[in-house]
Amino acid sequence: MKMFDLDQGIADQLTEVSLNSAIQVRCGNSNAFMVTASTLIPLLQAFEMGGVYISASRGAAEVIQGFEAIGVDVSHIQFIDLVSSGILGGTTVPYSNVHFVDSPIMLESVLLRTLYILKTTDNERNFIFLDSVNSLAIYNEDRMLAEYLHTFINTFRQQEVLTVILNVPDQTPPLVLSNLDLYCTDLIDRGQVVIH
Amino acid sequence: MQPAGQYSRDRCITGVHGLDEILRGGIPYGSTVLASGTCGSGKTTLGMEFLVRGADAGEACAHFTATEPSVKLLENIRQFKFFDVKMVDSGLINVFDMDVLYSWLGLEKSSFDLDDVHSLIKAIVDIVNTIGVTRLVIDSVTTLCYKIKSEQLIRDFLFTLGKKLATLGCTTILIAEITSATENAHWSSFGVEEAIADGIIVLGDVERMGHLLRFLQVVKMRGTSHSRAKHAIELTPLGVMLTPMLKWGAVSDTHNRWGA
Amino acid sequence: MASEFKFDKEDEKFFGSVGSFGVPKFDNEMHGGVPRGFTMIAFTETGSGSELFAKQFVSPAEEAENTLYISTNEGQAEIVRIFNKYSWPLDINVRTIGEEYNSNVLEKELLASRYRLEGFRLEDIQRLAQTRFVDDVTQDYLTEVTNEVMALGPYFRAVIDSLDFFLQREDPARVVAMVRMLQAHAQLYRGLVLISVSTDGLSPLIKQELASIADMVLSFKVRTIGTDFETSMIVSKFRNAPENLKILVFRVTPEEGITPETVERIA
Repeated sequence: MKMFDLDQGIADQLTEVSLNSAIQVRCGNSNAFMVTASTLIPLLQAFEMGGVYISASRGAAEVIQGFEAIGVDVSHIQFIDLVSSGILGGTTVPYSNVHFVDSPIMLESVLLRTLYILKTTDNERNFIFLDSVNSLAIYNEDRMLAEYLHTFINTFRQQEVLTVILNVPDQTPPLVLSNLDLYCTDLIDRGQVVIH
Repeated sequence: MQPAGQYSRDRCITGVHGLDEILRGGIPYGSTVLASGTCGSGKTTLGMEFLVRGADAGEACAHFTATEPSVKLLENIRQFKFFDVKMVDSGLINVFDMDVLYSWLGLEKSSFDLDDVHSLIKAIVDIVNTIGVTRLVIDSVTTLCYKIKSEQLIRDFLFTLGKKLATLGCTTILIAEITSATENAHWSSFGVEEAIADGIIVLGDVERMGHLLRFLQVVKMRGTSHSRAKHAIELTPLGVMLTPMLKWGAVSDTHNRWGA
Repeated sequence: MASEFKFDKEDEKFFGSVGSFGVPKFDNEMHGGVPRGFTMIAFTETGSGSELFAKQFVSPAEEAENTLYISTNEGQAEIVRIFNKYSWPLDINVRTIGEEYNSNVLEKELLASRYRLEGFRLEDIQRLAQTRFVDDVTQDYLTEVTNEVMALGPYFRAVIDSLDFFLQREDPARVVAMVRMLQAHAQLYRGLVLISVSTDGLSPLIKQELASIADMVLSFKVRTIGTDFETSMIVSKFRNAPENLKILVFRVTPEEGITPETVERIA
């Protein structure tokens, strides 16, 4: 049961991308989950992909529950949670598909953990969903984050893993944003939220 | 000039994810490599993976442990998904407790003299030679060298051991414990190990905003060109995994912009 | 005040106030034997017959299970041979520390030097790779022996032949402390303890201390007279019975072992 309509335009746009693409998905504060779901659901259901969801904006459990609430099973994708280790007791979750990294500043650990998960997965086609650059920007210095995104995107493109990077542009430092524009091959722009 | 992808010396392919790339193909055969690191930096895991990868390729491997009992070590090794208990049963992985070796050699004493040192070298070389070991790890050479009171004797010990093992074609990792892996730190406890070794791999932690990130850096490796950059590492059931450390995040807080 | 042990009336009657030395003529010379509760120190010279005397001392073995013979120099086989020779009881407790030490420590040292000189064979290496723990061979024989004697019950009889083994390997102060404990135990339980110690290389201070702890001090001596050897036993301390102080010349007979000569010689 969906409490909102999925953005079909995103699904349509996804049919155009290849596995070695890096998609920047721009959203606003209020439509973030709708955009996330509109991106992720086609990948899971239409394209039958497996993957890794990196949650830097919210705890993985909250994301999973959000999807469960709209009737989407995300148990076969792996979550890397960068938030919950910073909360005492936050890592006690009832989901076996959640991995924890101590902090959003441990960017290399996130990359390595993602690579590790990809090595242990049987899926033929995988995606990486990074939620979100603006959250990482809270903790990481602009130059380091820009450098990281460069490495991150190129690593997965090389491995033919679809990279989806969620971003709230007005909360992202200009240096990071411009670099993201440069490295990503595709853009899904839902940054301007229209309230009907 | 060598065509790309070919090397002038045969390599011992470590099998450690990313390390062979850093070393442009692996450790030159017969090298003695010092793996120096602070506590918890992943030295033992690196050494164990080096052996298990070797055993996986059918090589005979030996591990001399002085820092933790072999029972524990063999228990920890099971975490590797590529480990098979047959490797131990079939004699490809041989783990020796240094305490037991000392006891067998009558070396249960607090300090070793020249004669003792030679006995120890002879024993290790004997083992390597008899079972045809091609990969050897001594964990740790620091603990061992604590028993050798003179710097000259430590030098002789490491030099002779390295030379004899090289003659036998055995690639050796000597694990060394250091208290600091910062820019100004020594890469060994006694200062002589680093000069004798053919290669030095430093393992340590970079502190970033109160969090420790493990890193690995190949400082020296005779007989091959190699990356000298810091690489972030993760210890996983698939072994040690490496990725280049972010340039803007590779220095400790006190030295970078965070501390300013 | 030291604790007092309540003895069984029948035991008191059976054991009496003195015990035999195992040498009837010596018992006679000492007015019946050695008082129960006595600790005797025998200072010995090489070839003076003290080892035989030590064995002979346990031969009365009023209660075999309460009789202990500890030898630091001889092996089981040799002790059995002597006991058989004189038809002394073989069901007493015997511990051969020297033999144990040889098998535990010396054999290990021998093996170590073989490994050091000749190196490891394949089977050695395989065994080494299977060995996870070091055998604990650092035995504290002194404590073990002390505990063993202290575990003996009333009217026990114990011999330690000789203390040299411990004095050579342990802090002499510990050894003296052990003798003191044994003396107290013997006194409390009316036991009989004989401890021999060689005078060769024994420090005068230790000798003096041991002599002061002991209730009875014997010295075994040997000298040459013409082409003969003369062995003698000097009783130089006998607590509360100075009339027992004596010099006894003895010989060894195939029937009785040590036998004091009761015919006085005229020098």
